[in-house]
Amino acid sequence: MFAAARSALFAASRNGARVSPNARSLPAALFQTADKHTLVLVRHGESTWNLENKFTGWVDVPLSPKGHEEVIEAGRLIRDSGLLPDVAFTSLQKRAIRTLWHVLEETDRMWIPVTKAWQLNERHYGALQGLDKQETVDKYGKDQVLIWRRSYDVPPPVVDRSSEHHPGNDPRYAGFDFPDEWTESLKTTLERVAPYFEENIAPVLKSGKTVIIAAHGNSLRALVKGLDGIGEDVIAELNIPTGTPLVYELDDDMRPIPQEGSFGPLNGRYLGDQDAIRARIEGVKNQTK
Amino acid sequence: MMTPSSLPVVLMAVAAVVASSPTAFGFVSPVPASVGVVPDGIRPSLRPRSSSPSKASSTTTITTTTTTTMLNSHKLVLIRHGESTWNDLNIFTGWADASLNERGISEASQGGRLLREGGYVFDVAYTSVLKRAIKTLWIVLEELDLMYIPIVNTWRLNERHYGGLQGLNKQETVDKHGKEQVLVWRRSYDVPPPECDKSSEYYPGNDPRYANVDASDLPLAESLKTTGERFMPVWEDEIGPAIRDGKRVIIAAHGNTLRALVKHLDDISEDEITGLNIPTGVPLVYELDDDLRVIPNPNAIAPLRGMYLGDLEDVRARIAGVANQTK
Repeated sequence: MFAAARSALFAASRNGARVSPNARSLPAALFQTADKHTLVLVRHGESTWNLENKFTGWVDVPLSPKGHEEVIEAGRLIRDSGLLPDVAFTSLQKRAIRTLWHVLEETDRMWIPVTKAWQLNERHYGALQGLDKQETVDKYGKDQVLIWRRSYDVPPPVVDRSSEHHPGNDPRYAGFDFPDEWTESLKTTLERVAPYFEENIAPVLKSGKTVIIAAHGNSLRALVKGLDGIGEDVIAELNIPTGTPLVYELDDDMRPIPQEGSFGPLNGRYLGDQDAIRARIEGVKNQTK
Repeated sequence: MMTPSSLPVVLMAVAAVVASSPTAFGFVSPVPASVGVVPDGIRPSLRPRSSSPSKASSTTTITTTTTTTMLNSHKLVLIRHGESTWNDLNIFTGWADASLNERGISEASQGGRLLREGGYVFDVAYTSVLKRAIKTLWIVLEELDLMYIPIVNTWRLNERHYGGLQGLNKQETVDKHGKEQVLVWRRSYDVPPPECDKSSEYYPGNDPRYANVDASDLPLAESLKTTGERFMPVWEDEIGPAIRDGKRVIIAAHGNTLRALVKHLDDISEDEITGLNIPTGVPLVYELDDDLRVIPNPNAIAPLRGMYLGDLEDVRARIAGVANQTK
């Protein structure tokens, strides 16, 4: 039986079908030879403004020392899993770019093409950007702030072109035309993440390349909402732990293939200490974010 | 309250191709697909920049004749990566992917600082697929707070391939082949080292990063001449046009590819280029006109017409010093 399984496995890989590098046994590997596409998501690590408890959004703050450590570890986990990213996508924000650079360094894939896109940015926090979270609660009341932070489709107040936080005043967005007033909800974030994924990332996955995306809490929420068909109420509360690689196997239609060890409602599987990750997912629910 | 339907339609737009097969998203965007797409045909140099002007686009204090060329001059910055772990071990490196060592990292930081102090801003960066150059670029971009610019990695900017000598200790190679022969392999213009074997780990066909490169383009060994020959297409087809288009370019690369480029820019002879040393980690700034011809800098150190940043006496000493090193 062993010999038959092995020759079938070799036949399958000769035909170009993807064979999982993580196959633990030959019979299991056989079932994994159907065309599947690997997508690795990494949320950037702690930033300096997480420490300062400020609304960040599109403000380009760096990783904190702990944030660097977190994502170096994420890179090691990916390296040890045997996954080899072929193409990378990230935002225009340094905390995600630096996260990606750490991962590429740890996996020895610094040479792969990287595309940076504003569509993968964190959700823009409008007029709240730069404000201290506690001060904002004191000013507007806890309920209003909670709506701005946790609702699906209620964005914070807009910024206009006179604000330093308007993208028109940042040279990195010089090639794009943003409206005079700008802010985002999770809903509108999804409305720019989803088409970007469809048009730019899905084709790369379908061509057989393993893709890694280093991005932010809300842009990754938008992404997994679409991949896993998660409802609006659930996604607003869903927390994706920082610096923890989340691996999806997608079929040719970009539908997630269920995996053992995934934590509902996600079909993706986290790499690392599963108990610690579960605790973090539960714990973050109660934190200020 | 803002809603996506109130977003004004962007007039200058490239129609985005929407994937037609049904997907898990099943999503049809109410936002015009053109929002956020970089419009074709818009030259960044024509768009008024609201950010603080950088020295890279200001006029320089040079005493050339034509002032009109200064209006359309383009600054191009070159930087050679710093010391790698294999420099310490005195091993022929070539396309082997050695990392920067501590000194190389600090050289890159220093280069980045000089560029930051000079007010340099870039729109796009080019580098090789070798980590010692990539890491140098990353360090420079971090120092400049320009981590968000696109980076193009191309094998055509790789160091010269050292063929069958890659991985060999330099002294052992001298002991084996004689000092004269090794000097020829290292310092001639057009004599390549012995070829590497196709079964070798150093044959690029065995490295996944070259999977998309035509097998006929993959070297088994290179001379400075052939290095230049495979570098020039990316200069002519990609980098040159980007510069003419108004993009401010930085290239982080290797000793021999930068030699090939400056040989072309400054019309340096074959004999002179083999002896020319470009110090590591020191930004080298060229000013080019619209035809990509060099506007000579009065502070240039011949035979180059570009200008090194930093303490020029120090740079001169390093240029002379590197000439005596093993490389």
